[in-house]
Amino acid sequence: MADSGELRKRTFVVTRFDPDKDQVPKTQSYEVPCRPEWKVLDALNYIKDEIDPTLSHRWSCRMAVCGSCGMNVNGTPKLTCKTSLAEYGDTVEVAPLANFPIIRDLVIEMDGFMEKFKAVKPWVIVAKEKAAEEGTYRQSPEQLAAFKQFSMCINCMLCYAACPVVAQEPDFLGPAAIALGHRYNMDSRDEGASERNEIFRGEGTVFSCSYANECSEVCPKHVDPAAAINQSKLLAVIDWATSFVVKREK
Amino acid sequence: MARPSDPQAMTPRKPGSTRTAPPQVPDDFWTQPRMRTYLLFDATGIVYLLVGLVALRVAWALAGGAPVWDALLRSFASPGYVIFHVLALISAIFVGVRFFRLFPKAQPAQIGPVKPPPPAVLHAVLYAAWGGITLVLLAVFGGIWP
Amino acid sequence: MKALLLRFEPIIWLLFGAGIMVGTLLLPGYLMTVTLGAPLGLLPEGALSFARAHMIFSSPLGRLVLLAIIALPLWKGAHHTRALAVDMLGHHSDALIGSLLYAIAAIGSVLGILAVLAI
Repeated sequence: MADSGELRKRTFVVTRFDPDKDQVPKTQSYEVPCRPEWKVLDALNYIKDEIDPTLSHRWSCRMAVCGSCGMNVNGTPKLTCKTSLAEYGDTVEVAPLANFPIIRDLVIEMDGFMEKFKAVKPWVIVAKEKAAEEGTYRQSPEQLAAFKQFSMCINCMLCYAACPVVAQEPDFLGPAAIALGHRYNMDSRDEGASERNEIFRGEGTVFSCSYANECSEVCPKHVDPAAAINQSKLLAVIDWATSFVVKREK
Repeated sequence: MARPSDPQAMTPRKPGSTRTAPPQVPDDFWTQPRMRTYLLFDATGIVYLLVGLVALRVAWALAGGAPVWDALLRSFASPGYVIFHVLALISAIFVGVRFFRLFPKAQPAQIGPVKPPPPAVLHAVLYAAWGGITLVLLAVFGGIWP
Repeated sequence: MKALLLRFEPIIWLLFGAGIMVGTLLLPGYLMTVTLGAPLGLLPEGALSFARAHMIFSSPLGRLVLLAIIALPLWKGAHHTRALAVDMLGHHSDALIGSLLYAIAAIGSVLGILAVLAI
């Protein structure tokens, strides 16, 4: 490979935690000769390949579509495959995603997220499936536009790491889960809005969101979960009000 | 480097097979500029609570007769009340600007057959209403009309 | 208590929404005149004398506006103060703090109704 420029030595202060050895997480510093075009992930992979093979971190696609490599970089949740080192100085702090239990080093426990995710029933709910002979479900570009933005989530969980309510209220469904539920509520093929709105008004209540907007600030896919959550509040209230007038089938 | 968030944050109901370290947030999680602005926005809640309670005094003073009303206006002229009401005015403007900025994206694309107008139109309507209502109140309470 | 709060959440949110919208729209005009202009003598003579103030606020619209200025900020205030409490103190005392704050808003609203009717 052609030489892409001068290497710059940067210090990476990385959170380490080995559940077999450590009581609490600690940090470890690594000197890394960085190429100018590198992302944070390149430096982490260099550390693992050349300096310390015990470092554990998640990554996969390297192109910001899989959502695996979310971490807190200098205090901000980022996709490390997408975050250029040119944004940073001589010292870069890399920590696991905030607000998640830590399994090891930079790897966080995702099962809590999966529980919230599944709780919103993220699938098209119809009372009676169309028979194959009746053809496909038809949807106009306008109908698609009503929810498409919210379908772009890659489940990277940066929004959970940024949210002050997630930090303090364990029951809160959280940005990505609510955005996904909202995606289905706005889908013209779906008939499950009442079911989901009941979940939105339940323990994980969407009303816990206090509109900090941090989730939308950090979202790498411009899903704007804050928009979804706050739209959901209005729709959940309308659903609640109409539930007194219109009998619901369970 | 980091401080704890709620120890149960994002914790699954069923524990995993290895011991996990509790969730943490970066040291500047609550103090970074955007979060500070958001906390200030929440803190206007305290100001609004007090504004409502003081407005209760206004209503009771009107029901109490001229001497009570005059005494109220005299007490409102004290430095403490002036500072409070100036703070309340700043809070109301801060809340209005932030709320109006975020309002358009809180409208669903469609509710039944109804669609919201574009954000630019919503902003124009909101600010026009704000300006219009303020001018009317200034005119009425300010003694200009009727 | 938490379950009770969850049950009332839609109404609370509606009142909060009205509080932030209508309250914010009304507050600058009210604050600049009734609470600052009149006490500091910045308004024309007699603008908010008792006679004129009573005439304005004893009209149906005047009572409604004053009630809105009393009650709606209370609900916005209660809801956001509760959110601040969760941010600063965590969720364990949220049910208690939330209930207390909404009780203040509710009692204040009732007192507000009584007060504007008494004008």
